[in-house]
Amino acid sequence: MTFYAPFCLPFILGAALMFIIVAWKWILWLLRLPRSDKRLILRGLFTHRTLGAAWEVVRESLLHRRIFRVNPLLGYMHMSLAFGWFLLIVMGWIETISYVGFRWVPLQGHVFFKYFATSLPHKPFFDFAMDLLLLFVLSGVALAWGKRLYSRAMGMRRTTKHVLGDRIALSALWFIFPARLVAESTTCALYGGGGFLTGSIGGWMGAHIGVLPLMNLETVAWWFYSSCLGLFFVALPFSRYMHIFTEIPLIFLRHYRLRSTEKHSSYDHFQIEACSRCGICIDPCQLQSVLGINDVQSVYFLRDRRYGMLTRPVADNCLMCGRCEEKCPVGIDLNTLRLNSRDRMRNVPDERRYTYLRGVDRSSGEGKVGYFAGCMTLLTPRTLSAMSTIFEAAGEEVWWADREGGVCCGRPLKLSGETDSARKMMRYNTELFRKHGITTLVTSCPICLKVFREDYDLPGIEVLHHSEYILRLIRAGRLSPTHGTTRYTYHDPCELGRGSGIYDEPRAVIEAVGELLEPASTRENALCCGSSVANLAISDGQQLQIARSVAAEMEATGAEVIVTACPLCKKAIGRGTRRPVVDLSEIVAASLK
Amino acid sequence: MKKRVIVIGGGIAGMQTALRLAEQGVEPVLIEKEPELGGKLRGWHVLFPSFTPAQEVLTELRRRVNDSGIECRMSAEVCSVSPREVVLSGGERLACDAVVLASGFTLFDASIKEEYGYGIYDNVVTSADLERMFNEGRVAKADGSAPRRIAFLHCVGSRDEKVCQQHCSKVCCVTGVKQAIEMKRLFPESDVFNFYMDIRMFGPGYEEMYREAQQTYNIHFVRGRISEASPTLEGRVQIKAEDTLTGRPLRMSVDMLVLLIGMRANDDNEQLARGAGLERARSGFMKPRDLFLGNVCSNIGGIFYAGTISAPKNIGESLNEATAAADAAARYVMQ
Amino acid sequence: MAAINFGYTISKPRAIDLDRNNLRKSDEILHEMPELQTCIGCGACTAVCTAGNLTDFNFRRTHTLVRRGEYEGIYAEMNKCMLCGKCRLVCPRGINTRAVVMLVKRKLGDF
Repeated sequence: MTFYAPFCLPFILGAALMFIIVAWKWILWLLRLPRSDKRLILRGLFTHRTLGAAWEVVRESLLHRRIFRVNPLLGYMHMSLAFGWFLLIVMGWIETISYVGFRWVPLQGHVFFKYFATSLPHKPFFDFAMDLLLLFVLSGVALAWGKRLYSRAMGMRRTTKHVLGDRIALSALWFIFPARLVAESTTCALYGGGGFLTGSIGGWMGAHIGVLPLMNLETVAWWFYSSCLGLFFVALPFSRYMHIFTEIPLIFLRHYRLRSTEKHSSYDHFQIEACSRCGICIDPCQLQSVLGINDVQSVYFLRDRRYGMLTRPVADNCLMCGRCEEKCPVGIDLNTLRLNSRDRMRNVPDERRYTYLRGVDRSSGEGKVGYFAGCMTLLTPRTLSAMSTIFEAAGEEVWWADREGGVCCGRPLKLSGETDSARKMMRYNTELFRKHGITTLVTSCPICLKVFREDYDLPGIEVLHHSEYILRLIRAGRLSPTHGTTRYTYHDPCELGRGSGIYDEPRAVIEAVGELLEPASTRENALCCGSSVANLAISDGQQLQIARSVAAEMEATGAEVIVTACPLCKKAIGRGTRRPVVDLSEIVAASLK
Repeated sequence: MKKRVIVIGGGIAGMQTALRLAEQGVEPVLIEKEPELGGKLRGWHVLFPSFTPAQEVLTELRRRVNDSGIECRMSAEVCSVSPREVVLSGGERLACDAVVLASGFTLFDASIKEEYGYGIYDNVVTSADLERMFNEGRVAKADGSAPRRIAFLHCVGSRDEKVCQQHCSKVCCVTGVKQAIEMKRLFPESDVFNFYMDIRMFGPGYEEMYREAQQTYNIHFVRGRISEASPTLEGRVQIKAEDTLTGRPLRMSVDMLVLLIGMRANDDNEQLARGAGLERARSGFMKPRDLFLGNVCSNIGGIFYAGTISAPKNIGESLNEATAAADAAARYVMQ
Repeated sequence: MAAINFGYTISKPRAIDLDRNNLRKSDEILHEMPELQTCIGCGACTAVCTAGNLTDFNFRRTHTLVRRGEYEGIYAEMNKCMLCGKCRLVCPRGINTRAVVMLVKRKLGDF
């Protein structure tokens, strides 16, 4: 039995080309990984991490569990295409084996088995199973067509605007399974067999179309099917469909603890090309929903970066609020990638920079607890005086790091991409903290908090946000706020919530002094105030627009007072509302009587 | 039967409008949300540039209103207007033939500019607080002592995008100079500093007063916006600014920091405008039909504007505009 | 406190000669960020400046010099900025001051 016909040619060529290119990419990316990353892979390879990764591949690459959480219909669409196609391939192999036994069959033999197996006796089970799986995949294709027309049904207000290459691959993909249905049905019409789908359609065709036209149709249909496959395979490594073969190694590498950093590395390729451009990141983006900016979202950023056409305006225009990252079904580290793109565009190492920091010390007071207000907090003196009241009430001896003006924590500069220079500020502050012998470092600014925890090396110093610190004081009985009747609502600052995972402490503190009402978007889904220092592009007016939309949501809770725990959020939201916007520390200080 | 025009707001503009309408043979009805007439002027001490006591102007206007027997509805709040009807918040509906909106402005809440410490530190006061102190005859620090060093900060809540107040409030510059002189008269030994971005002396006698403040009273003018205020251990207020004329940062401790707060559009302008289909400027103030030949007319026939409902104005301008609005309303109802 | 002197200074004793100064870079900067032109020179940015608290860095003067076509030493001056963003929070004109620093540095990087 030969498994070759001329129509197989497009498929064979396409598949071969695809495998060569994908393998080339994988090998190149892996070889170029930094030595430390390679070591991590070797160390993780023969551990339970590999199993964990394999299980995640099943869950995410095949079943698309995370997309189900965004919207069940959308999840089904992705699952039917990925898992359905996968099952079709697996079942196809089993089918071939059951017919011809364990012998080598070329790839096209498996794929076009229906065409070659006309002379063999039919096995109704496989006819049925293969048709069922084909129907499964076709339902996904139908949904994909439907999504183009009406994406809202799948919980997406907006879908990705695709580039030409993606459109070609997408069209080819859309035609593969309808083409397969027609091809198999015509073969069934001529030679009998087939399940409830191909068999029935074949029977109908046999009854209504003459043999000669059917034979011509069969040739055309199989050629078309093979060409669609071939075209799709050729386009795959260059289009968004590369994600199919990138997400799998990405999951493994992630389980081996590889991470992107502020500097570009080869690992970034796995993240960037794992983006399927599903566009789930578009809807959460407030630049889109409030400002109508449509070309900077993570999907476009990754696309532009992948094809080497990333521009500064796109890289700069992001709040780095992490709302999209929270929703990304592939779990791509979007903020870090954005950051290391900025690093490539803007980082200019300069030894002479910030030499003026040498010897500076404006700190005051003495104590084991250090308080770093942060630059922005110096512009919200109510927070400062509230913290002072709290420290006093708790009888805490405090070393004030920057009340008379200090040195910036370095995170704003880092977020702008000048990562090397930012390190100089970090080194300065680290030395300052060590010099004064503190054991606890409290800050009111979540931006500072995040950089202290992630980039500073502070052995023996526990870094706390003031919300955590205040809660500890309350729980230890060192502060006894009185519970009042005021109704508060709480705005999660991005750097505190999604950035540092601190959601519960501020809420517990608020509940100790009054009633807490949650806004519509809260915790992981909380909105960004719009004034994030990470966005280098939007104007003051645009910041205000976002602030107003956030304030409107906070006001809708009916709370009398809007509470937040970040000086920048406080300033920003305060511009958008006439209701009082206060820092967490203020309501605590006011309740101490 | 006499035509009836409802004047909303019993401040100086409203009173003057009502008086002029009565003169023209129209029946005015004054609606005032407070229990007495006078509006913002009640809180003022003396008026620039002549140092005329505000009471003088106020008493005379009130007397005239009283004498002319104008119907005044006190402690009444308006919830919607149309050219033929005004609805009070109690639900009462007042029929009329035209409406003049003279509900004025709201003082900017200085505590929004948190970095200046108003409401946080002692001895940070607003220009309105200072007028009240002048009226009470007790100008002093929180501890009762006399201030020796006083700073005035111009443009608090004016020309500031950060508090969504893009407009110039027009009268704070001259108020700042006036109050500086008053402080200097009260405390001749004190040093008075005015921190400004631009000094806008637009009226007759203003520039002369400015010059007098500099030359006769030795008041210092520093060109720079104060950026932060913080308390010192001795209970003073430390302020930071850039002295832009020397290009160097400046810091100083003062006994009293006076914030010259600006004028803000009333919050209920939005509701009134929405109900009646009136246009508002970006600043939130009402937008006159045009700025030249229809500056007291709204875009809706039968609704007119007098005074600071449409933009910050001084007292003279408000009174003139009130007369013009009354004339326009009278002409409208007589037709 | 004295800053490290790199051999040039931004306050020169000579007049700003707008007949001679080449405003091309300045025009490019203002073309990309027209809002910089709205500066009223109130100095609030400079008064709050974290770097200005430790050095003679003066953002207001520095960007004004750029707009007058005086570019010498500007890059090094702007490099003193920590990009903390306090100035943006106080600017009454709503100028994106951080973006100004980055733009000026990008445009004048070769000086």
